[in-house]
Amino acid sequence: MAKESPQKRTMKKLIKAIWVFNWFNSCGFTELVPVVGSRWDMERFGMIVVGSPRHADVLFIAGYQTLKSIKRAQRIYEQMPEPRVVIALGSCTMTGGMYWDSYNTIKRLEDYLPVTMYIPGCPPRPEAVFEACAKIFKHVEEME
Amino acid sequence: MMEKEIIDEIKKKFGVEGFMQRERRVIVKIAPDKLVELCKFIKDLGFEHLSSLSITDWPKRGIYEHTYHVWSYKDKILITIKTEINGDKPEIDSVYPVWGESAQIHEREMHELFGVEYKGNPDLSPLFLEGWHEKPPFRKDFDWREYVRKNFYDKENDRERVYFEEV
Amino acid sequence: MKPESVGKNEYELFFGPAHPGSGNFSVRLKIDGERVVSARADPGYLHRGFEKLMEYRLPIQNAVLSDRICVLEALAWNLIHAEAVEELIGVEVPERAKYIRVIMAELSRIQSHLIWYGVLSIGTGFDTGFKLAFGYRDFILDLFELITGGRVYPAGYICPGGVRRDLPDSAKERIPKVLDKIEKMIDFVKAENPANIGRLRDVGVLKLEDAIRLGATGPVIRASGLRTDVRKDEPYEVYDRFDFEVPVRKEGDAYARFQICLEEMEQSVKIIHQALKGLPDGDFIDKRFSKLKLNMRMPEGEVYVRNEVARGEAGVYMVSDGGTKPYRVKIRGPSFLHLIPVLEFLLRDVQIADVPAIYWSLNGCPADMDR
Repeated sequence: MAKESPQKRTMKKLIKAIWVFNWFNSCGFTELVPVVGSRWDMERFGMIVVGSPRHADVLFIAGYQTLKSIKRAQRIYEQMPEPRVVIALGSCTMTGGMYWDSYNTIKRLEDYLPVTMYIPGCPPRPEAVFEACAKIFKHVEEME
Repeated sequence: MMEKEIIDEIKKKFGVEGFMQRERRVIVKIAPDKLVELCKFIKDLGFEHLSSLSITDWPKRGIYEHTYHVWSYKDKILITIKTEINGDKPEIDSVYPVWGESAQIHEREMHELFGVEYKGNPDLSPLFLEGWHEKPPFRKDFDWREYVRKNFYDKENDRERVYFEEV
Repeated sequence: MKPESVGKNEYELFFGPAHPGSGNFSVRLKIDGERVVSARADPGYLHRGFEKLMEYRLPIQNAVLSDRICVLEALAWNLIHAEAVEELIGVEVPERAKYIRVIMAELSRIQSHLIWYGVLSIGTGFDTGFKLAFGYRDFILDLFELITGGRVYPAGYICPGGVRRDLPDSAKERIPKVLDKIEKMIDFVKAENPANIGRLRDVGVLKLEDAIRLGATGPVIRASGLRTDVRKDEPYEVYDRFDFEVPVRKEGDAYARFQICLEEMEQSVKIIHQALKGLPDGDFIDKRFSKLKLNMRMPEGEVYVRNEVARGEAGVYMVSDGGTKPYRVKIRGPSFLHLIPVLEFLLRDVQIADVPAIYWSLNGCPADMDR
């Protein structure tokens, strides 16, 4: 068995039940709040929504971001402790989507934040969110 | 009151002839210096709900056209008041003394997006945009696709190169 | 110690967009101890410049874009945009399409009021209500997926000229079953809950003269005593053929708005039952629009259309100069008036703990405020 780096050892211990901080802008709100609700329950996987970014492991960025709200998202990202993961949900977040010619929305999220995973869709279904979380665990396994 | 009576009352007092577009819709055009007087007059007739306020920019004629839509709960009729102001130096009296805060917030939005001065409005600070130093964004001479192409896309990126080619 | 002498201790609190008790909207509060002295709204986190985006697109493309004006009730905004284009072009929609549109708009209203009920419960700490509301809302989203193809965004189902696809036969049996479940839920919730009453009664009282001056519409002004509803004052589609009531209250506080939310859901269920019974046969889209024509010109003119969406009165003002794309579109959303003048007026001299209850009881959608 190859020697695991200390970073991977820490991540394997910490990312077992991930705590989530939501940064939902409009479209993310309608489809992803039911993820917390009773039909697609995320608490059975050990994920809960926390109120402060200092307790969170994962930052979900959902919905199109404007110049005003991406500055707030950067502040929140800086307050999260290591190890931290950013997941982008929805096509308008990643590429500008259907507001590609608007003067106030951002067109490329990776210019502002380091993104680990992208979930396409308009808006993505709740099952897609769970699949992404399962992929995080696999990503930690394959990391060096 | 019916639509015909309202048109006659306005004609008697101000001399302008409105017309009835369809059932429940009356349109009146007036000069900007008599605007606030007309608004006070129709508010006394029962038109107390300002539904919306909008500006249309006609660069070929060189004017900004204001449109006020006012609804009466009593008679169930909507009056549309239209006035035109000069495009080079756009300023107009505010209707805040007539309809209160619901007019003030609409004028604040129009000031930010079109750059029109409202004399008499107590608060015209920026509403939606933070740190915006270019010209007012909704005017017809501000092309959004050019602006976005210059500031947000770059030619070296494979995905975005297509926006620089003419369609 | 008299409270007036502590005036110098004011500080500013930013009740911002990342707080779990607020949406994508922030309010700056000036606080003195536990009391809020004044508030200033800070909108603009979701501003995309919708009105000018619509000037670059054809009406058939705008039909898809119009779902996203207010994300919580997509079909209602689809409907008002389609009505504006139809009135400008001068097209009469077939009868069957009008009935289907009314059914979809009322289902969207029930779904939006369930969200209102759910987030108001989070604001007052009634967590069971949140789980109930979002659980029952999923039945309606499954219906939307069956009829239009999308759970949240119907991709322009209500387009100018009619509706895109016909109502499937299985929908006619499933809709009454879902409505029975919703009626049972409303009965269960109506039982008076002492926690809710304590937190909502006499909180955020809005009198009628203030409401008219500040521009409130919809459930907010109906809770203050004025009996008005665009579906009864200026009937559009086929609302004049149905028999329903408009609930009104006089107190103007948050509890009155909460009761109106529940009663409006009951009236919507009644309308849908009547519409399903009277659904006629025939075409579902006007012949000129069923084949996609990309260069249909709109004659010169202007039009202003008013509709009643779940949050209040919505208006679309469209101007055309004879081309294929609209020249100017102005969208009047109810939340623009509810969240800036009305909220700043109500948040004077209240306790901090009442701020989420007042904010959620106004039912504002930040997407429809910023556009």
